[in-house]
Amino acid sequence: MKVEEKLSLLNYKTDPEYAHITIKPPICAVCPDHFCTFACPAKCYTLLNGKLNFKYEDCVECGTCFVACAHGSVTWTNPKGAHGVKYKFG
Amino acid sequence: MSEFDVIVVGAGPAGSSAAIKLASEKMNVLLVDRADPPGSKNISGGVLWGNDLEKIVPNWNKMAPVERYITSKGVGFLTKDSSIDVNIKSRKFLQGVTGYSVLRVKFDQFLAKRAESAGAMLVSGVTVENLAFKDGKVIGVVQEGDTITADTVILAEGANPRVAIDSGARRPIADQDVAIGIKEVVKLPEATINERFGLTSKEGFAGEYALGFLEDGVEAGGFLYTNRESISLGVVINMGHLRADDKTYSFDIMDQFTDHPSIASLIENGKLSEYSAHLVVEGGYNSFPKQYGNGYMIVGDAAGLSFSNGLMIQGMNYAIASGILAAETAIEAKKSSDFSEKSLSRYKEKLMESFVAKDAYNFKGIEEVTWGKLAHKIMPSLMEDVLVNMFLTDGTPKKHLTELIRKAMKENNVKSSDLLMEGYKMIRRM
Ligand SMILES: Cc1cc2nc3c(=O)[nH]c(=O)nc-3n(C[C@H](O)[C@H](O)[C@H](O)COP(=O)(O)OP(=O)(O)OC[C@H]3O[C@@H](n4cnc5c(N)ncnc54)[C@H](O)[C@@H]3O)c2cc1C
Ligand code: SF4
Ligand code: SF4
Repeated sequence: MKVEEKLSLLNYKTDPEYAHITIKPPICAVCPDHFCTFACPAKCYTLLNGKLNFKYEDCVECGTCFVACAHGSVTWTNPKGAHGVKYKFG
Repeated sequence: MSEFDVIVVGAGPAGSSAAIKLASEKMNVLLVDRADPPGSKNISGGVLWGNDLEKIVPNWNKMAPVERYITSKGVGFLTKDSSIDVNIKSRKFLQGVTGYSVLRVKFDQFLAKRAESAGAMLVSGVTVENLAFKDGKVIGVVQEGDTITADTVILAEGANPRVAIDSGARRPIADQDVAIGIKEVVKLPEATINERFGLTSKEGFAGEYALGFLEDGVEAGGFLYTNRESISLGVVINMGHLRADDKTYSFDIMDQFTDHPSIASLIENGKLSEYSAHLVVEGGYNSFPKQYGNGYMIVGDAAGLSFSNGLMIQGMNYAIASGILAAETAIEAKKSSDFSEKSLSRYKEKLMESFVAKDAYNFKGIEEVTWGKLAHKIMPSLMEDVLVNMFLTDGTPKKHLTELIRKAMKENNVKSSDLLMEGYKMIRRM
């Protein structure tokens, strides 16, 4: 099963007003490793024609990319209260 | 006058344990969690080892939503084609204390509710944004621009502690402090689980695996725990190793684990019910961050108090124990009306005297070995060659074991000096 299908099993309360994680595109444009694309378990970071694409909506708030990006591109904040992923089992 | 004696940020096992202890000693406590209900963002393997909760919730194991009591323990070395498993089922497990498998959404809610019924004010679905400072001392927390004051703040935010890091209360996280944890919950009928693992309905199995089949030096561990009507399984991937490799995706490692023949057979015909991920703290004694300061203490994962060696994870028990110790310290501080760094340093002393720091100390450096080549690469492939050759009937007389080992070492490019060195390191550390 693809990650996308696995994520579709989850409940999210997406906050359309607030992206809790942001990247700085100029830093990503010259990134030598794109380690975020290998590390993120929810495939939020992908390369499209060599350009980094990030979507916060699928994020499961694991915290990995905050450590994984060694180039200072990732700003990580908590979603606003009660927003984001909501597990059933945990 | 502060509005609260103590504000606890985060209602995971660390924060809720602190709040239960505080409230039951008549302290005025606010317990805040950004999830609604609390626990709905938390995951773990998860086996709650030990019996620390007994101190604050007597007979907790009769009341809490636990899944199964661990009566059977396994360690497996998985290579590409084989698995070498050691399984222990012992009557001794019934006499002593092992652990219970738990599912965190239910379990954490139970603990948070206990804090509430003990008298704590529980607020869920609220994200604490920052600490409030005055004259270099923490005087409360900030939420949507408002300051809520307390004599002491206990930070129990978990493995990615934004408030502690962004406010400078602790140092940021580095590669060696954490691993990437990925988990799946697979539904299966209770009877099928009992049959597959040789259990009764209350008994549980906990297995940890070295993933020796991964290519390019990525080292990861796997776990598989039985719940009543589901199986929790997942992988813990060393951040530094994944970084050093430049072609392996974290989520592919999860698939390789569940597709491995000996794991696939255990979850066969099961239905995937949840996919989740979370950082795992694995720092250990040598990398404890600062755990207290003027007006605050840090507990649980946020304080680096979790131990994982790629094979086994323990964190909930340390979270609970550290939460209780911080609560005790806050109660003492209130008695002396002294919330300074010096007064709260009692928390660190208590930690150092407890099994939390002792465990971390005893295991300091072991991560180097278990994450090292021996456990994840050399042993699995060596044992595979030796055992497979020993039991394969090819019509020729069986060779002597030492000869098989020597041959396997040669084929696996293992120098005896390497094996000795790694073996020595392992024994010394253990
Ligand atoms: C894949 C995996 C497997 C594991 N397996 C095991 C196991 O088998 N056994 C074991 O003992 N341990 C295991 N662990 C480790 C265990 O999960 C942790 O050690 C434990 O959860 C730590 O508890 P905590 O209370 O410190 O943090 P958490 O459980 O993470 O709780 C932190 C809480 O704080 C809240 N929070 C965070 N920031 C804020 C904020 N700013 N405002 C309000 N609320 C906030 C969160 O919503 C959360 O509820 C595992 C971990 C992972 C990831
Ligand atoms: S987020 Fe970091 S690792 Fe990812 S592409 Fe940008 S700079 Fe590179
Ligand atoms: S926090 Fe985890 S899931 Fe979310 S974007 Fe970062 S790595 Fe991906």
